[in-house]
Amino acid sequence: MAVKAESIAKRYFRKTGGANYFYAVQPVSLEIAAGEIAVLTGRSGSGKTTLLHMLSGLLKPTEGKVRIDETDLYSLDDRALSRLRSERIGVVPQGRSAIDTLTVLENILLPAKLYGRPLPVEGARQWMERLGIAPLGDARPAELSGGELRRMAIVRALAQSPDLLFADEPTGDLDDENTRLVLSAFQAYAHEQKKAVFVVTHENDALQYADTVYQMDGGRILDR
Amino acid sequence: MTKRRMFLRMITASLLRRRSRMLIALLSIGIGATILAGLVTIYVDVPRQMGAQFRSYGANMLLLPKDGETLNGESLAEALKAIPEDALVGAAPYRYVRLDMTTRQQSFPAAGTDFDEITKTSPYFSVEGEYPGESGQVLVGKEIADTVGVKPGSTMKLTYQPSGSASDKTPEESRVPGAALSGKAEGFGGGIVYVSAELDEEMKIASLSVDASTQTPEYGGQVPENEAFLGQFIGKALPLTLNEDVDALTGATVTSSAVVDALNKATEAAVSAQPKTQNFTVTGILTTGGEEEGYVFLSLRDMEAMTGEDKLDVAELSVSAGVDQLEAYAEAITENSGSVRARLVKRVARSEASVLEKLTALVFLVTLVVLLLTMICVSTTMMAVVSERRREIGLRKALGASDGAIRAEFLGEGLFLGLLGGVMGAVLGFAFAQAVSVNVFGSSITFQPLLLPAAILVSMAIAAASCLLPIKRAVAIDPAIVLKGE
Repeated sequence: MAVKAESIAKRYFRKTGGANYFYAVQPVSLEIAAGEIAVLTGRSGSGKTTLLHMLSGLLKPTEGKVRIDETDLYSLDDRALSRLRSERIGVVPQGRSAIDTLTVLENILLPAKLYGRPLPVEGARQWMERLGIAPLGDARPAELSGGELRRMAIVRALAQSPDLLFADEPTGDLDDENTRLVLSAFQAYAHEQKKAVFVVTHENDALQYADTVYQMDGGRILDR
Repeated sequence: MTKRRMFLRMITASLLRRRSRMLIALLSIGIGATILAGLVTIYVDVPRQMGAQFRSYGANMLLLPKDGETLNGESLAEALKAIPEDALVGAAPYRYVRLDMTTRQQSFPAAGTDFDEITKTSPYFSVEGEYPGESGQVLVGKEIADTVGVKPGSTMKLTYQPSGSASDKTPEESRVPGAALSGKAEGFGGGIVYVSAELDEEMKIASLSVDASTQTPEYGGQVPENEAFLGQFIGKALPLTLNEDVDALTGATVTSSAVVDALNKATEAAVSAQPKTQNFTVTGILTTGGEEEGYVFLSLRDMEAMTGEDKLDVAELSVSAGVDQLEAYAEAITENSGSVRARLVKRVARSEASVLEKLTALVFLVTLVVLLLTMICVSTTMMAVVSERRREIGLRKALGASDGAIRAEFLGEGLFLGLLGGVMGAVLGFAFAQAVSVNVFGSSITFQPLLLPAAILVSMAIAAASCLLPIKRAVAIDPAIVLKGE
């Protein structure tokens, strides 16, 4: 399964400097195929996260279309889009993203629980093992370090075996060793399981794991 | 873990996690429900409560005999069937006559009544001493008591002077020997037979003369001349039975029977025309501030014995009902009863209705304001909760939760709070209503079984309505914006 952006752009209204709007993301077309890991780098405020949100079905572009296979993502109603996100798309959001009332394992299994799907407990255990948080299943998020929380969020995205995985600064809280662990896990996930992976980062180390690298500046994708 | 268990877990966890906030929301719903349940209980009970209160201001319906008819115990009981038992507070019958107190040369109005009913219809009657409990006892109005100088325990000798009996004769005089009896009865062919007799000292017949000029001369016309027939009557006490005490004249059976009838009727009339005197014990002195203080009250049974008549002048009814209902009852009585008509004491009935209306409107208004305040409080609290959970809500959405799922979760929290608050409100509300009822109305109320489900339903509805705006906010949260950057 591939994700394809057709001239998508995000424009916000802002009454400054003559024009009354500005582009957070200038019109851009790109495609991430199954089995491919793409890395998007760029400075803060360059529009990376906005682009990721548009591709992952969280933010409707003001122009253009996002297609997943042949489905126009934003032509779906809230219910269908939510279900599709839950079943096919994994997102690792920026920053802390845990529900404190649930245990680590429950947090990881939450997307499946929301729709009453069979819980991917085995997959979750394997990924927890691989990323070094296996003993923390019954812990509460409040008891975890920043790095552990980040890996929990990554396991949550991976455990559902999504066709499309979007990760926003997934290595921000991690040390070098864990950064390598995570990036190689993403690479393996893309290559071995033939899934599309899209990573937003400003970590130069990430580039060596990428099949495709995009660079963004001022809302524009630069030529590679 | 099933989806439903997961849902419940999320709700309870969320409620517990924000204990203090939720406690505030729960308290406001609980207090709202308490006041609501309390006021509704009072609201339902007010007409009954106030009705009972109003009933202490006296009768609101009168039963009177129709023109040319007689009201008595029987026709009264029949008429009262039109009013449901639980609405009828009391029905006091009255029979008014004048009684003489010859020892004091006084005469005053007297009322025969049922004292048990009087305590119900006229609870404002204030009695020094006790109400009469048995025959031969009277309750005396304060005015009379002061005039003739009686107090509880005194004896009053009261005389009933039937209208028609010679008022210039004292009771003793009309009993002296030599009193004449005269009477008449229908004889043969409808002709009237007249008799007159004199009584001796033992009240037995001393002499008898008959006028049978309307009867057939050769049969009944012979009666006045027949010494053997007339002789049978001398020395006999009245009343008599034909063919037992006296034999009929052969060939003039009808006329003979008329003579006996005329004598018996004359005796009866003489007896009933006799003034009746009886000694009564005063058990209490009545103070009302009204004209009742100028009356002597005795039991209906004593009144009947004095007058020899089973007759009532009026019955005062105290009925717990609104004006419309009262009018319906009155109409039903007047229509269905052959001898009784009902009339409303309109001043009392109308003022009751108007006060009740104002009271219920006030209760309704207060309830509305309380519900509004509850909604504002719960809504504000839930709004704060949504703000606090913005990031979590955004995350859920990012993980695939639909707007419907977010709605369901917050609505679930609201309904759960409503459920708890409703149970709390129903229990505390009843206690509140009970306290108000006991302190204000001086009577306790019965628990309405419907109150519990009603309070819970209303609380849940209020809580759900209060959550609408917060839910709208929650659904509007854009995961992309919330998850960005923090």
